[in-house]
Amino acid sequence: MPDLEFKIKKFKKIPSTNQKAKELALSGVAPWTVIVAEKQIAGYGKEKVPWFSPRGGLYFSIILPKSKIEDLQTLTILAAFIVAKTINDNFSLETLIKLPNDVLLNRKKVAGVLTENIIGKNVKLSVIGIGLNTNIEKFPKELEDKATSLKIELGKGVNNEKILKKIVKELKEQLKTISE
Amino acid sequence: MKLKLKIKGKECEVEILEEGEDKVKIKMGEKEFIFGKEEKKGISLIQTSIPKRNFSKKEIKAPIAGVISEIFVKEGDFVKREQKILFLSTMKMENEIISDFDGKVKEILVKKNQEVKEEETLIVLD
Repeated sequence: MPDLEFKIKKFKKIPSTNQKAKELALSGVAPWTVIVAEKQIAGYGKEKVPWFSPRGGLYFSIILPKSKIEDLQTLTILAAFIVAKTINDNFSLETLIKLPNDVLLNRKKVAGVLTENIIGKNVKLSVIGIGLNTNIEKFPKELEDKATSLKIELGKGVNNEKILKKIVKELKEQLKTISE
Repeated sequence: MKLKLKIKGKECEVEILEEGEDKVKIKMGEKEFIFGKEEKKGISLIQTSIPKRNFSKKEIKAPIAGVISEIFVKEGDFVKREQKILFLSTMKMENEIISDFDGKVKEILVKKNQEVKEEETLIVLD
C-alpha cells in the first residue's frame, strides 16, 4: 500500500467502531483499514463511558500496524492534536485540547479519542477510535452543557468524508515519523 | 545442564540451555536443536528422562504504567495462552492484557484500581 493510503469500510449502524475494528483485526484485516459507522448504538469512550453517536456525527476506528506501546501512546496524544488542528485549519474555530483525549469547542466536548490494545508478550492488536461531533444538530438535555458539534458552532454542516481523510492521512504520517 | 544419554546404544553427551522464554536449546556435539513454541519443522523431540523444569518464570507483567481497571481471573484458575487476564488503563489507552502462557494462576499481586509501574509483575502462573 503506498505511503499514506488507507482503506475505508463503511457501516450504516454498528455497536461500536472500535469493537468492529478489533474483530476485523483479529480476523486478519490489514492495518490502515478504517471502519466508519454512520451511527453507533453502543459507542464508548474511556472506561466504557457511552459516546453519544447519532447519525450525522463522524465515528471511525483505524486498525493500526503492530507498533511499540510507547509509540501508540504518543500517537494517541497526537491524535487529539490532529483532530483539533483539522478543526482549526478548516473551519476557523478555536479548539482546546483537554489532555489527553478530548477536544473542546466553546468549553464543550466536540471530539474524543480512544486507543485500545491487546497485549501479550508484544502488542498483538491496536485500534484507535475517534468520535467527532460534526453534523449533530441537537444533544439530549443531559449532554447539552457538556457537548457540542461543528454544525452547532458553525451554523452549517460539514463534509464528514473530507474530515475523515485528512485526519487518517495525518495520523498515518505521524505514526511513521514516531516509529522511525 | 549437561547430561549423558544413550541413543540407539550409543552414548552421547548433551547440553541443555535456556534460549529465551519457552525455548530450550539442546546441543549434541556440533548439532543444535531448539525446542519450544518455534520448534523447527521436521525435528522431533527426543524422549529422555530429563526431570521437568521451569525454564522461564511464568509471570505476567505490566507493559506500561497504568491502573488495573478489571481482573478477569482468580487464584487457582487455569488460563490458556492468549486468554484475557486483565484490563490496564493508562491515561490515554485501554489495554487488554492476555496471557503469554498456559498455566494455573498461582498468585495475583494486584487489585482493581491499583496503580502499577511498567514491568511490575501482576500475576504469577504455575
